[in-house]
Amino acid sequence: MRFGPLVFLSAFFALSLSWCGLVLTPQIQLGRAVQETNSVAKSDLYPQERPGLARQGLQVYRANGCAYCHSQQVQQNGTLVDVVLTDAGKNSNTLAEAVNASLHTNFNAVGLAGGLPKPLLRETTMEEASSLTAVIKKAGGNSEMHLDPTGPDIERSWGKRRTVAQDFLYDSPVMPGSQRVGPDLANVGLRLPDLNWQLIHLYAPRAQVQGSPMPRYPFLFEKRKIGSELSADALHLPQEFAPADGYEIVPKPEAKALVAYLLSLRADTPLYEAPLTPPPARPAATNAPATNAPAK
Amino acid sequence: MNATGITSPAGNTISTSEIDESCRVPLFTLFVSAAVWAVIASVFGLIASIKFHDPNFLASCSWLTYGRVHPLATNALLYGFAMQAGLGVAIWIIARTSQAKVVQPWLISFGGQLWNLGLTVGAVGILAGDTTGFENLEMPRYAVVFLFLGYLLIAFFSLFTLHNRKEPVLNPSQWFLLAALFWFPWIYFTANYLLLSHTPVRGIVQAIVAWWYSGNLNLVWFGLVGLAVVFHFIQEFMNRELYNRQLVWFTFWTIILFASWSGIPHSAPAPAWIPALSTVGTVLTAVTVLSVMMNICATCGHGCSQKENPPPGKFIAFGTMAFAVSWLMNVVSAIPGVSAYTNLTWFTVAQWQLNIFGFIGMAVFGAIYYIVPQVTGIEWPCLKSPRRHFWLAAIGIILIALPLAIGGLVEGVNWHNPQVSNVDVAKTALNFLRVSTIGELLILLGNLLLLGNLTVLSVRYYQKHFVPAYREATAELKPVEAKP
Amino acid sequence: MSSPANQPAANAPAENAETQSPAVPVWLIIVLFLLLYWGAVYFDEHGGWFEPQVYTPYASAEQVKAFQVSGGPNPFDDGFKIYNRPTCSQCHQPNGLGQPGQFPPLAGSDLVNEKDPGRVIRIVLQGIQGPGLVINGKPFNTGSAMVPWASVLNDEEIANVLTYVRGNKEWGNNAPAVTPDQVHAIRAKVAAHPLPFSPDEIMQISPSD
Repeated sequence: MRFGPLVFLSAFFALSLSWCGLVLTPQIQLGRAVQETNSVAKSDLYPQERPGLARQGLQVYRANGCAYCHSQQVQQNGTLVDVVLTDAGKNSNTLAEAVNASLHTNFNAVGLAGGLPKPLLRETTMEEASSLTAVIKKAGGNSEMHLDPTGPDIERSWGKRRTVAQDFLYDSPVMPGSQRVGPDLANVGLRLPDLNWQLIHLYAPRAQVQGSPMPRYPFLFEKRKIGSELSADALHLPQEFAPADGYEIVPKPEAKALVAYLLSLRADTPLYEAPLTPPPARPAATNAPATNAPAK
Repeated sequence: MNATGITSPAGNTISTSEIDESCRVPLFTLFVSAAVWAVIASVFGLIASIKFHDPNFLASCSWLTYGRVHPLATNALLYGFAMQAGLGVAIWIIARTSQAKVVQPWLISFGGQLWNLGLTVGAVGILAGDTTGFENLEMPRYAVVFLFLGYLLIAFFSLFTLHNRKEPVLNPSQWFLLAALFWFPWIYFTANYLLLSHTPVRGIVQAIVAWWYSGNLNLVWFGLVGLAVVFHFIQEFMNRELYNRQLVWFTFWTIILFASWSGIPHSAPAPAWIPALSTVGTVLTAVTVLSVMMNICATCGHGCSQKENPPPGKFIAFGTMAFAVSWLMNVVSAIPGVSAYTNLTWFTVAQWQLNIFGFIGMAVFGAIYYIVPQVTGIEWPCLKSPRRHFWLAAIGIILIALPLAIGGLVEGVNWHNPQVSNVDVAKTALNFLRVSTIGELLILLGNLLLLGNLTVLSVRYYQKHFVPAYREATAELKPVEAKP
Repeated sequence: MSSPANQPAANAPAENAETQSPAVPVWLIIVLFLLLYWGAVYFDEHGGWFEPQVYTPYASAEQVKAFQVSGGPNPFDDGFKIYNRPTCSQCHQPNGLGQPGQFPPLAGSDLVNEKDPGRVIRIVLQGIQGPGLVINGKPFNTGSAMVPWASVLNDEEIANVLTYVRGNKEWGNNAPAVTPDQVHAIRAKVAAHPLPFSPDEIMQISPSD
């Protein structure tokens, strides 16, 4: 390591290694990613572009540095499996024997065949679940495996599965965050879907969450005199946070955009890389067509 | 052994004072700016810290919301103080160890001015809401151009100075600085081009590039520069060579090979191989710390006692300790079982602060307190001030790093327990934050001391050098006596 | 403070210093290699070997594949979604009753409830138009045509929507489900018949074909 060129070359070599590994290869692998199919309804593509107002909201999120207190990275420690019997088949006696032999239980044929679907195993490993499924199939029945992702974040209802690259496909800039002063926001559109709750929370966080350390964002709102009547989108604030008599608080376009972005945040679509069993959809009781905008 | 480019007669070495004199202009720009930005960073850091105790503090002004004040504080500390001061010390080390005068000092100073212009424009941009959203890269596009050009000027002429060295064999500090000067433009250009140009990369690759840049800046660039400073001054103060040169070569290689892969957190929403590579790289930097500490302990022997050290020595010693602690914190927080409890908590903030302020900051403070009297020929106006600054800064950074590290671990444990509500987790962290606010205040006071000292010294320098020269230049011409 | 120029000190004995300088201690090299070994093992177990679809906690591409429990919750529910996309419901209505004089009902229809689904699969694939449709013994007169869906829906989707329609007990239907394989087989057969069927043609085909 005596001469300048040697030092330069070694630095060049090390940096290009790191660049190839952490910049070039991810770009090759992920940089041209396109929409993926939803692993439940194969014809649904995920993700969809956020609606225009939500995209503007992303820029408000960026400009106000929300990512310094909120992360958008749900973590998952493992996946457990439930086995649910859905069809007892033609010979429920054989089925009951096979299941009892496998699980050391005492089902009788009638009990097993009645009251389907019947969960047989809860929160086991994939190996056990697969072997039970095979046993059931061999005995002529049919079963389903339901996946349960596990982890502290999921137990906190911050998400149903971990966030993956696909969840950020159309965002720019991508801000997964690096601190959790406040809760994770990857699925806040699922958890707190009420527009008014979100607006009031932005204006006066402590009105919604007692003791919250989140700062207020009054500059996203406008305080103005009430006209002949209260505006349609005036906030209904508790007494402590309400403005003086005769004044109302109305959200500015930035506040509406930010809330639209927050409400669009959901990362619970089952994907190949993050498999999940969503709760089964039930056919609507009314004649109104169900909306099928793919979940995003 | 030809030193090309130096216009000195054969056999004449350039005197130390000539070298120092050539350093004056660039160092003046860089050190004074660094001191100013240090104060700005501490002020905004203090404001950000206070907001945790009173969330309504300055909340109604959009320019002072936490999400804008916090990135300004970190960017001011990183680019305004640490990088500028680091570059200034680097120039001096290069000039002294190369025994060459600084090439084009005025252009380097101009580079420094461009850097400051970029920073100022960027700082205003961040407060106005133009932050890019990427950590450690928040400077908006229009500021980045100035920063980059300024750096190129500084780096190019520093490298030119190194090229003019008398002795072709590089010593350790020179290797480190040479590699660092080259490292930054590549990572800075790559990150900014891929993230801020008109066609940025798509999706999670943005976050990956931003994390890669962050790791390379905080660990590799600052590691190389900080260690160059530490090695140089330990040799100066101990009056002997580094104990084991091969070990320094080993340190160099472990930094550039392993630390350059750090940066991607374990929880990243990216395919498993990416955080895995980062984890491996970060854990391997443990070897770097071991090699550095071994070398330094062997070099210092029993001379490490702080009591006899004048302030610059104290600063360098503290910086070395902070290097070891913060890099080991980094290693520990990357270990797979532990990362679940330190990720996304205050622990990472504590480690970052200890690295940038505790290690680099303290090392360059010590260097500044040593270099400036040498280069200007004027002693510090307030002789007690460096010592006071040392204690303020040392206690300050300990009061920031220690509570936040413990608070981060407690927070991590709490996040793992779904019974603890979000608000309660924040509340338990608050007590630790209170102590860290005191630390921020102490650091601010220390920075003000440095700025004050530098300002008065500059005034004295002006009075000593410019005033007489000005007077002479504007004196009345005496009539020439007519000769018969 | 004196500033010993350490360069002159390094100049002359530079060569000597290098040869006399102690080597990197062996234990440090051993630590390095132990850590490299750990790193290799860790990457092997947790790195997913550069697969872009392997995320923690899954350890490998095979494991992710094993967790793809097939079919989603229920072909019936899938079919419900497809029916109401509003692929079918826009004409046959969400309640399956269709529109008299326009679109035939699916609820309680004998054609829909045939045990073997050969006819209904063909109708969905290629469409049906023309006079002569008979539902539940009564003629259903319509001027509208049903468009072919072969290029819009894939085998699984057609199977699922037919499973839903045929199995919807609320509508009074109780016919066996349809599998994607059945649709696939018939798709091959009707490839030679690109035009929509007429009701007469459909009635001539055996349902079990």
